[in-house]
Amino acid sequence: MAKDTTLIQMKDISKSYDGEIVLDEFDLNIRENEFITLLGPSGCGKTTTLRILGGFTKPDTGRVIFEGTDITDMPANKRPLNTVFQKYSLFPHMNVAENIAFGLRISGKSESYINDKIKYALKLVNLAGYENRAVTSLSGGQQQRIAIARAIVNEPRVLLLDEPLGALDLKLRQEMQYELIRLKNELGITFVYTHDQEEALTMSDTVVVMNKGYIQQMGTPEQIYNEPENAFVADFIGDSNIFDGIMIEDRVVEICVHKFPCVDEGFGRNKPVDVVIRPEDIIIDKPGRGVIDGVVTSNVFIGVHYEMCVDAGGSEWLCQNTRSFPVGTEVSLNVDPENIQIMNKPQSEDEEAISLEEVLGEELKEE
Amino acid sequence: MKKLFSAPFIFFILAGTLIPMGVVAYYGLTDRTGAFTAENILAVFSGDHMKALMLSLLLSLIATLLCLLIAFPLALILKDSRLGKQGFMIFIFILPMWMNFVLRTMAWQVLLEKNGMLGFLGIINTPVAVVLGMVYDYLPFMVLPVYNAMIRIDDSLIEAAYDLGASKNTVLSKVILPLTVPGIVSGITMVFVPSLTTFAISNMLGGGKVNLIGNIIEQEFTTASNWNLGSGLSLVMMVFIVISMAFMGKFDKNGEGTMI
Amino acid sequence: MKRFAKALYIAIIVLFLYLPIGTLMVLSFNESKSMTSWQGFSVRWYREMFNNQELMEALGNTFTIALWASIIATLTGVLACVAMNAMTDRKRNIFMGLNNIPLLNADIVTGISLMISFLLFGISLNYGTVLFAHVTFCIPYVILSVMPKFRQLENHTYEAALDLGASPAYAFFKVVLPDLMPGIASGFLLSFTMSVDDFVITHFTRGAGINTLSTLIYSQLKIGVRPTLFALSTVIFLVVLVILLISNYVRSGEKDKKPGKTGKTGEKEYIYRSGLSTGRKVLVGILAVLIIAAAVKFTPSTPGEVGENGVVYVYNFGDYIDPELTEQFFEETGYTVVCDYFDTNEEMYPVIKNNTADYDVICASDYMIDKMIREDLLMEIEFGQIPNMQYLAQNIRDFMEEFDPGMFYSAPHTWGTYGIIYNTELVDEEDFEGDVSWGILWDEKYAGKIIMPNSIREADMVAAKLLGYSMNTLDEEEMKAITRKLIDQKPLVYSYANDNARDLMIGDNASMAVITSGDVLYAQEDNENLAYVIPVEGTEVWTDCWAVPKSCKNFDGAMAWINFMYSYDAAVANFEYLTYAIPNTQLDDYVYEDYIEGETILSEIEIVNPSEEILARCETLKNLGAEGDDMYSRYWKEFKSR
Repeated sequence: MAKDTTLIQMKDISKSYDGEIVLDEFDLNIRENEFITLLGPSGCGKTTTLRILGGFTKPDTGRVIFEGTDITDMPANKRPLNTVFQKYSLFPHMNVAENIAFGLRISGKSESYINDKIKYALKLVNLAGYENRAVTSLSGGQQQRIAIARAIVNEPRVLLLDEPLGALDLKLRQEMQYELIRLKNELGITFVYTHDQEEALTMSDTVVVMNKGYIQQMGTPEQIYNEPENAFVADFIGDSNIFDGIMIEDRVVEICVHKFPCVDEGFGRNKPVDVVIRPEDIIIDKPGRGVIDGVVTSNVFIGVHYEMCVDAGGSEWLCQNTRSFPVGTEVSLNVDPENIQIMNKPQSEDEEAISLEEVLGEELKEE
Repeated sequence: MKKLFSAPFIFFILAGTLIPMGVVAYYGLTDRTGAFTAENILAVFSGDHMKALMLSLLLSLIATLLCLLIAFPLALILKDSRLGKQGFMIFIFILPMWMNFVLRTMAWQVLLEKNGMLGFLGIINTPVAVVLGMVYDYLPFMVLPVYNAMIRIDDSLIEAAYDLGASKNTVLSKVILPLTVPGIVSGITMVFVPSLTTFAISNMLGGGKVNLIGNIIEQEFTTASNWNLGSGLSLVMMVFIVISMAFMGKFDKNGEGTMI
Repeated sequence: MKRFAKALYIAIIVLFLYLPIGTLMVLSFNESKSMTSWQGFSVRWYREMFNNQELMEALGNTFTIALWASIIATLTGVLACVAMNAMTDRKRNIFMGLNNIPLLNADIVTGISLMISFLLFGISLNYGTVLFAHVTFCIPYVILSVMPKFRQLENHTYEAALDLGASPAYAFFKVVLPDLMPGIASGFLLSFTMSVDDFVITHFTRGAGINTLSTLIYSQLKIGVRPTLFALSTVIFLVVLVILLISNYVRSGEKDKKPGKTGKTGEKEYIYRSGLSTGRKVLVGILAVLIIAAAVKFTPSTPGEVGENGVVYVYNFGDYIDPELTEQFFEETGYTVVCDYFDTNEEMYPVIKNNTADYDVICASDYMIDKMIREDLLMEIEFGQIPNMQYLAQNIRDFMEEFDPGMFYSAPHTWGTYGIIYNTELVDEEDFEGDVSWGILWDEKYAGKIIMPNSIREADMVAAKLLGYSMNTLDEEEMKAITRKLIDQKPLVYSYANDNARDLMIGDNASMAVITSGDVLYAQEDNENLAYVIPVEGTEVWTDCWAVPKSCKNFDGAMAWINFMYSYDAAVANFEYLTYAIPNTQLDDYVYEDYIEGETILSEIEIVNPSEEILARCETLKNLGAEGDDMYSRYWKEFKSR
């Protein structure tokens, strides 16, 4: 889908506010026609990245290269990118048409061109006929679409969207996701968008998981989901069981004093590691048939499958299964070797910063 | 139950505003014997009163415009600077009010007097000095609402405009200015009305040579003891006030204003 | 460079705002009472400030009125907001519209409407009326500060509190009120500031004897502002400034402790976090303490000690006796004196006429005595009870015939003439040798250096005398000629001033001014180049007299007061304090020898006591009746609007 030409290069970008580092020697390449998602909890630096791209924030160090041209010092109003702001930022003193026409008027387009563009853009965002409405009378989702329409009429090479789904409710969010994909395909331009939830995976060509100013992992949604590089990514993307484990030897890991076969090699002997197991990968069997025995402590039906907690080996195991095991049932658990992800424990201070407890603690504090 | 809470307010509005207005209307529409007459109102069209009214209108419009021209860039600078955000600059504008209005105006008299520090300007006892006094005394009433309206503009709106290719000037004229209009409108009324009706400033800085409608009204109530004529002219003043209110209401629909 | 331009712009505006204030501060240290010339550093005004009871009372009034007005306005405003919040949009808009009226109304209209309403409904103007007026104009500020906060409130929090079992009152005080607090605090502060700063509304609604700082200053403009006021304002200003700086310091301290956490957009969060709440609280706290301290100290005092013979209520022009005399009077006679003050006869007249307050003895000018006798507002004086009356100067009696024939109703307090004060350094000496005509004020040589009175009758008098008319003429043709004459003179006039003419002359701002003789000695104290002449065509002789209104409750006390005023001590004290001529023969020797360290004795005699020959050409101001007043007023406006 995406052509393999680099459109934007962010090199060595650092940015701090009041001594607090938001981005630290950050590098990112964005390819032409790519749908790229910056994913991470609030405070991870994704909005700052977007603002640096848009030209609203100057990086302390580093360069932004657009098609080989250094645009680091180019003011926002000269950049061939447009932004859809988190709060939509529609001009409240203008109606829908005037909002959409704003950028076109500045670039001196003819009125007939502007009118055509407005009609086209409104149709594109499924709001045909809304020209003369006051923007304050629109719902959040409608405002969102107007904001997108206002940006795309300028035919930007890149559209930056700052948490475009953040303020919408679930149903609208899903609708909007498909609409964004459709738009991207129709327009054939690069989308860069930020989000703080995993659902963003569905629409992206490339996902960049960020935390604390660093890129944790970059890859296709499948790569990110199936092969998380560290506990943070694993925890952030989807539900995971993350255990402290010991790599006894190649292909054998000990979790909760039970040995599991796995496919990983080269960690050395008796090395402490993080072990990630997706809940849907845990096989629930009759007692004694699996590797580790336990008791079901909770059972919730969540649509396609049941989500159960099993107390086994002194740990909680989150399991998903289409079959229901009532609370109190004695079970035995097993995991296919290829479904066990082994990761090194974070060691350097930088890596320390992303340890899970801290992330969770931070989120609690912010609430 | 909650409706009772508005009782004190209604009392003060009735007793402190509406009834006194009625009394002014009564005096304004009667003569000394108590008989109905429109003479006191029509008196505004007599040469002397009209002249004073026109001069008042002219000077107060100039003063209002000057206040706006000073306040708008100032509010822009304050919006961008840290000073404004900490409320410090706002205090700088409120602080002089603690040095009494009469004293402050008198201080200008001292400064502008022929042998005063600014005597070389030669503006004392001229309309220029009166305008200066108006600007000085009422500038805070322009700065505060304009500033308040401006800081309410979300930064992202300005960024959005830049993002869409707007230059600094376009952002100023197409985004900041229109969104500051409610503040500007209340600033204008807050400066225009008191300037139009002042008598103290023209007395102190005009050297008795600048005769405004306020001076005439004041004289009717003090030295000339003609309450009826004074009330009649006050009623005419209220026409301007009503116009201002309508003007303001048009731009500030929910009535919650950016006045302060 | 751009930063520099911005800083410069702010600097210029701050300079514009603070230059006059700085000037006043400097003047508060000026040895001289002149506002225009610097005569050495001194802190005497700061010392005098604390001893000046009138000033301290005005200070007390200013702050207690501001305090009570803002408290009442805040309570009323917050309650109204609660009520309005529960209203339909339409009704609320009506209320907000009503709320805007006092805010947008011109001060002068508000003041006048309240004043005439009070008088119409027989409510005497006093502390209460001023307070009421202040509450009226403060409420809108409170509502405009609180209402937006109300609208921002999440209604759910209140409902959540109810859901959790709170009573409506508890929910309001514990959940809603804390959210409103910043709005309430700023509404209160704004009300307080507006109340302290108000002049116009207070000017019209204040009763006799109630002065706030603004009205005291304005009334002092007529008799010369004393630098004690500058000193006081400087102190107030500095106190507020210090509070501001402290609260600002506290605020920035807070920020250091808890640096804004970097959020999605670092900068913004930074702003939100540096919230004003605690700093404000501190500021409000300090202010409150100060205000309450001031309120306790300066609560308007009723006389603590009532003399054995009761109280004499005196209604007098502001600053028109030596203030120490009331104490002496109490010691000598056992009467406690309560003085109330007014600025003009016109202000005093309705109070006596409408009986809005009961005074035992009043002071009024000649023409007003005439008017009040005609309207039967005065009682005859029992001259048998005033032995000191024997000292009444003879030359004044003829003039008294003109307004109080036979002298039944009044006893002169001070008297004087109008004449020309000139600066010997700034005029050609020969112009002032021998007889001088009022015509000198029309001499183009002195264009831009002439000061004329800014009052109808005195300005008209000058022109009338020059034209050979009576200053009390009711002839339309003569009035036209007078008005033409004044209009001709207009381009030559530097300013029309009553009050500060004296100060303008002291500061060498003009060559000559029409001034009353009483001000001459005062002016000469500060500028030795000033001299005074009564023009040959004659002038106005004015007399301010004690009189007893019909409302008098303590007639004996009133008689004792008048008798006391004619005692040697009182006459000397008043002369020294006012430098106005006191028509008392006991002063004849005193004045000639002691005043101004024995210099220029001859002219002093002339100034305070003109010769018979000059007096023969003089007139007193007569009451012209309503139609006469209207005519004068009409021509005056015509002249003014040219």
